[in-house]
Amino acid sequence: MSAIASNSTGGVAVAQLQALQAGDDAAFRELVRDHHRALTAVANSIVGQSDAEEVVQIAWIKAHQNMGRFEGRASLRTWLTRIVINESKMWLRKYKRERSLQVDIDSPQPLADRFSSGGHWSKPPAAWHNDTPDDLLMVSELADCLDHLLGDMPDQQRSLLEMRDAGGMPFDEICNELTISASNARVLLHRARSQLFKLVDHYQETGEC
Amino acid sequence: MLKCSELVERSDALLAGELSWRQRMSFRMHLFMCRHCRRYVKQLERLLRAIPGMHGKANEAEVEQVMRRIREDDQEQHRH
Ligand SMILES: [Zn+2]
Repeated sequence: MSAIASNSTGGVAVAQLQALQAGDDAAFRELVRDHHRALTAVANSIVGQSDAEEVVQIAWIKAHQNMGRFEGRASLRTWLTRIVINESKMWLRKYKRERSLQVDIDSPQPLADRFSSGGHWSKPPAAWHNDTPDDLLMVSELADCLDHLLGDMPDQQRSLLEMRDAGGMPFDEICNELTISASNARVLLHRARSQLFKLVDHYQETGEC
Repeated sequence: MLKCSELVERSDALLAGELSWRQRMSFRMHLFMCRHCRRYVKQLERLLRAIPGMHGKANEAEVEQVMRRIREDDQEQHRH
């Protein structure tokens, strides 16, 4: 998994890190530019859309104050994601908002209709075009569909996807944060990924979503 | 032998390096014979690499908004 985490989230260049820790304004702006929307998505999955922006703003202030303590053991994305999760939890405590995550362990596996009863592919994946991997989900035609898909996704699935696959956080830590068993978390994460897989697959095959 | 649907269910564990030697062998046997599943695993890896960037980058206005609050907070700290 480290290969995934170090790709577009981490792989912190030494020069960038030194600039950040020296309090370089341009380097911090770059950091905000790269991670702000992903962090807002994490907060959104915990505190809800209306409060997500404010929580992330507070998290950025904390990150700015504590930049000198970043040790480079996790990727910057993961470090920032942890700060956002902490601030989200404090926000919920402070405003005493009980936000119980929807549990949806009974929803169907999104790829189930792609297999025959014998477990063979009845509709195998389409061949995806050879774009650069990092751009796969950034196609402008997909933007609205992706927003809808994430917006309709049950909270736990979305939190798992944002924390694990976008934030690069360790699986155990996420299970603790969400108070969910590892086996349920695996099932839910697989469902979230499968929905995205289906979205991309359909787009690659038909050119629409 | 592993079914395609079972392979798909376990592919997350494979990519996370969580399968035992025996499980990896049966996975490999299946992939050797099944081009659909080969394609699935290859494309799943591509998808996972794309997820961290799926929300895109913030625009200048969003960046400025964050930086402005940081500056305000700094000034606040200095006053006290
Ligand atoms: Zn197969």
